[in-house]
Amino acid sequence: MSDSPAPAIELRAVSRWYGNVVAVNDVSFEVGPGITGLLGPNGAGKSTILHMMAGLLRPSAGEVRILGQPAWRNPAIYRSVGLVPEREAVYGFLSGREFVELAARLHRLPDPARAAARAIDLVEMGSAASRPCGGYSKGMKQRIKIAAALVHDPQVLVLDEPFNGADPRQRLHLMDLFRSMAAEGRTILYSSHILEEVERIADTVLVIVAGRLAASGDYRSIRALMTDRPHTFIVRSSNDRALAARLLDEPAIHGLAFEDGRLEVRARELLAAARALPAAARAAGVTLYEVRPTDESLESVFSYLVRR
Amino acid sequence: MHVIETAALTRRFGAVTALDALDLAVPPGITGLVGANGAGKSTLIRILLGLLPPTAGAARVLGFDVAEDGPALRQFVGYMPEHDCLPGDVSATEFIAHLARVSGLPAAAARERTAETLRHVGLFEERYREIRGYSTGMKQRAKLAQALVHDPRLLFLDEPTNGLDPAGRDDMLDLVRRTGREFGISIVMASHLLGEIERVCDNVVVIDGGRLLRQGPIAEFTAATGTLAVEIEGDAGPLAAALEARGYPARREGRIILLPADGDAALDAIRDACADLGVGLVRLEHRRQALEDLFRAPQEAADAAR
Repeated sequence: MSDSPAPAIELRAVSRWYGNVVAVNDVSFEVGPGITGLLGPNGAGKSTILHMMAGLLRPSAGEVRILGQPAWRNPAIYRSVGLVPEREAVYGFLSGREFVELAARLHRLPDPARAAARAIDLVEMGSAASRPCGGYSKGMKQRIKIAAALVHDPQVLVLDEPFNGADPRQRLHLMDLFRSMAAEGRTILYSSHILEEVERIADTVLVIVAGRLAASGDYRSIRALMTDRPHTFIVRSSNDRALAARLLDEPAIHGLAFEDGRLEVRARELLAAARALPAAARAAGVTLYEVRPTDESLESVFSYLVRR
Repeated sequence: MHVIETAALTRRFGAVTALDALDLAVPPGITGLVGANGAGKSTLIRILLGLLPPTAGAARVLGFDVAEDGPALRQFVGYMPEHDCLPGDVSATEFIAHLARVSGLPAAAARERTAETLRHVGLFEERYREIRGYSTGMKQRAKLAQALVHDPRLLFLDEPTNGLDPAGRDDMLDLVRRTGREFGISIVMASHLLGEIERVCDNVVVIDGGRLLRQGPIAEFTAATGTLAVEIEGDAGPLAAALEARGYPARREGRIILLPADGDAALDAIRDACADLGVGLVRLEHRRQALEDLFRAPQEAADAAR
């Protein structure tokens, strides 16, 4: 743990209980600039963690710090944090613009109208901003909530399932928005159940299972640590049997099978097997048509962590 | 024979045209319904259930005219709405048996069908508890059960995985697939998650702004492109340079190297370059189109397909 500069988000031995129910159990981690995905089954404690980060919920034990400052009882941090809650937290009787301007005024921004217009532009809600939020679709409510959380240009953005209800085009647009904000050096932490999207935009993941931190970091490095799970490739080539015969000589390979007319290659170490493959194919005079790992996605990493 | 056929189907709400001269022909099987928010998906489903009359045009579902034969049609279709529509103060058993009776089953048959259906969707001990205490996953299962209890031939599912966590999503998608394949029930599934559609559907219908954008077998949307995608362990720079040196224009996209699929020669060049450099070849495949490409700006889509 380095002393300088302070991490954007830091949890130190944080627990939160409701009566006898332990929602978050002794969790410590740090989050830096870039996009981080917060993953976990329903009820794992993700929303509780996000609300503690935004200073809305007191940790029962431990401390949450944002940019080096405590998050609880410290209104000053509200200027550097934006929270997009999961619930439909919009007022139906306000127009989208009024709702975002309200957020701007609560932050005492010098020019609320301009700040609101900028945030509304970022989420492409300009054409609907004069209509009442009550008539918005789920995807529109989601985007206006994001605009309200962005209105004060926060350094740290915390989002609880921000893609919920967004259609395919809106999802692509929000992903681009997050990427460009991350490129500006901001910290974006978001919870999601859609692992194939997290895999595409998040640099690192935090996996929460039953209130505890089960893993954190680049999911590929997490996968590499799961040495008890063999790595499997599906290989198609011009001559699968000649390739298999050659691969048998490679100590890195510990299993070969023909399944549904495809060659399945198993290894204890991903890298060693990935190195052996092209060399063995060349030595056997075989053309590789396709090489596909079957068990390396965020989805399989996640399911191992949760099942455990 | 198609399970759904529409001809110039149009629905206006005042000045707003929700559906604009839609011509659909949906074959049996599992069909994904995709479109932007406000594209007219919900309006379409309500018309196909015979609950909302079209402004113009015609629609036939399982051969029934939706405008004329709504009540007869609804004996053969099931509907799982997107929103939370379950009463809190009864158990799933009571609620679903009640709906089975409403569909015209005698009391004894309704009880038996309810038990079978709840087992099929994976609600066991919970089925005697009040619905208000159910998790999101259990509620989604109960919603699916009420759509299935009267043994329909066609099922409309509106965002069936909404709010589910990864394990719950897998279970629900598996259930949708089993319901479609093993029971031979045709399914129309609306979803924003294109990966889900690619995973379980045979066909897809894409509507945009009330108009038909594309319809057809899913394979048409995920065909291989003329691009090879190569992923290696570690820095992609040296491999990209080595391929360039062999005369293959390699583009980099993060950890992935893209180059034109130029027959076996290109594949062998990748193999040999990896072997020479001693780098690990983690993935080598023809890049496929994705449903998502339909929703990108034309230039981006062209880049992605290249």
